[in-house]
Amino acid sequence: MLNLGQRQVEQMSAPIPAQPKLVLDNVSFFYGQSRAVHDVSLIFPEKQVSALIGPSGCGKSTLLRILNRIYMIYPKQHATGKVLLDGDDILDPRYPMSRLRARVGMVFQKPVPFPMSIYENVAYGIRHYERLSRSEMDGRVEAALRQAALWDEVKNKLTASGLSLSGGQQQRLCIARGIALRPEVLLLDEPTSALDPISTARIEELIDTLKTEFTIVIVTHNMQQAARISSNTAFMYLGELIEYGNTSEIFNNPKDKRTEEYITGRFG
Amino acid sequence: MTTAESLHRRRQAVSIAALTLATLATAFGLVWLAWILGTTFFQGLGALNVKLFTEMTPPPGQDGGLLNAFFGSFVMVLMAVVIGSPIGIAAGTFLAEYARGSRLGEVIRFVNDILLSAPSIVIGLFVYELVVRQAGHFSAYAGGIALAFILLPVVVRTTDEMLRLVPDVMREAALSLGIPRWKMINHVLYRAAKAGILTGVLLAIARISGETAPLLFTALNNQYWTSSLSEPMANIPVVIFQYAMSPYDAWHTLAWAGAFVMTLFVLALSIISRTILNPRKSDNA
Repeated sequence: MLNLGQRQVEQMSAPIPAQPKLVLDNVSFFYGQSRAVHDVSLIFPEKQVSALIGPSGCGKSTLLRILNRIYMIYPKQHATGKVLLDGDDILDPRYPMSRLRARVGMVFQKPVPFPMSIYENVAYGIRHYERLSRSEMDGRVEAALRQAALWDEVKNKLTASGLSLSGGQQQRLCIARGIALRPEVLLLDEPTSALDPISTARIEELIDTLKTEFTIVIVTHNMQQAARISSNTAFMYLGELIEYGNTSEIFNNPKDKRTEEYITGRFG
Repeated sequence: MTTAESLHRRRQAVSIAALTLATLATAFGLVWLAWILGTTFFQGLGALNVKLFTEMTPPPGQDGGLLNAFFGSFVMVLMAVVIGSPIGIAAGTFLAEYARGSRLGEVIRFVNDILLSAPSIVIGLFVYELVVRQAGHFSAYAGGIALAFILLPVVVRTTDEMLRLVPDVMREAALSLGIPRWKMINHVLYRAAKAGILTGVLLAIARISGETAPLLFTALNNQYWTSSLSEPMANIPVVIFQYAMSPYDAWHTLAWAGAFVMTLFVLALSIISRTILNPRKSDNA
């Protein structure tokens, strides 16, 4: 808990840190026999937003789902290669799952609040890891909701059902639920594709403030979104990583013809 | 007359004929239902009085009520629910959460469906062999066990189906927080599916509260009050059966009264379970 404060202090003094947070080394993914991701190697730098773009079915969501091993709940799905989180291979079966999931949070395309109150939605995950007094918990819940830019809208109805919120609010509640565990990495799987433009703009603003504290990997269908919010962009096609680099490079000066064709809207 | 006009007329005639037939078929079905409900209602309403709930089943030629039978039915249904629903919910959870897509799950689901449609007299006979013959006497607990066997597959099936209706992304959301699976099922999935699971239990209660055959072999009947689970116990379905077959008018009246109360009870359960499942006005969380 203390190192959070420390980290914030470091940020203020240091320029944009660009240490590698997640390193993918020859990662492949299989649904049964069929290979959905081919030998992807790339580095997601710490406390930056990295976007995964590409047409439907190109493996970008699949790649994201490797990073917290959520695919493991389905039999017949498996990944090969290495994914190093601060140097430790999370694909190693010995890497403890609950530690991984506490360090790497995830937000899904469809907002899925749990069937509980707004307060409980946020407190539920915390309670699994920490024993807190009532007032400490109140503080943690409030902090998470503030950080997710939802506090002002829900502070007077914390006991209302999470399902009573609007779609955009539900998605921010899911983000609050994720960051309440104080993870280091946040995986966002098309977090705005089910939302209206105003809610989308709010989430994008939120992502911009969150990157000071979290390493963010976002899958998006929307190329403008990737251009607006990310520092790095990876273009995937048919399960392969075609091109990865600085977002402005990718969008202004793509090296691969397929990347150029995709971002100029010639296919996808 | 143009071709289009004649076609139009012909289609209209076919439509009217089809509509008429469908309406008649519906009316035919509804007439019997209304008749059954109407007879039960009028015969039963006339037989209703306070004694029904305060006095025991009488010997021939005397006045009495159905108190011991109501109590017996209540006790045995309660026993079936207490035994059957935890096992049923656990088994349904296993099918939906742990055996999904597995061969074992398919086999269990198939066997459960067989149990679901097994004739209740077979279950009665089974419990007779298993419990009554071993113990050497009819008993209320044998009746409760027999009813539990009928309730069980209904609860397994509804729990399985209701859990599978919860979208996968809800599971992923909980697991991605590092919540272990059993906790996710207990805290998130059951909450999401509770209305459906509860409905399953209620419908199963409706089903078993009218079962007669399994109780004939197990709890039998008892003219007197007993609260001992190891003695034969009176119950509404068997009392209705015996009294309706008897030559005494007073017994016939009691049988109608019992049938009326039971129908009302089952009807109420169906209505309650429907309102739980479609809470259109209240928000459900």
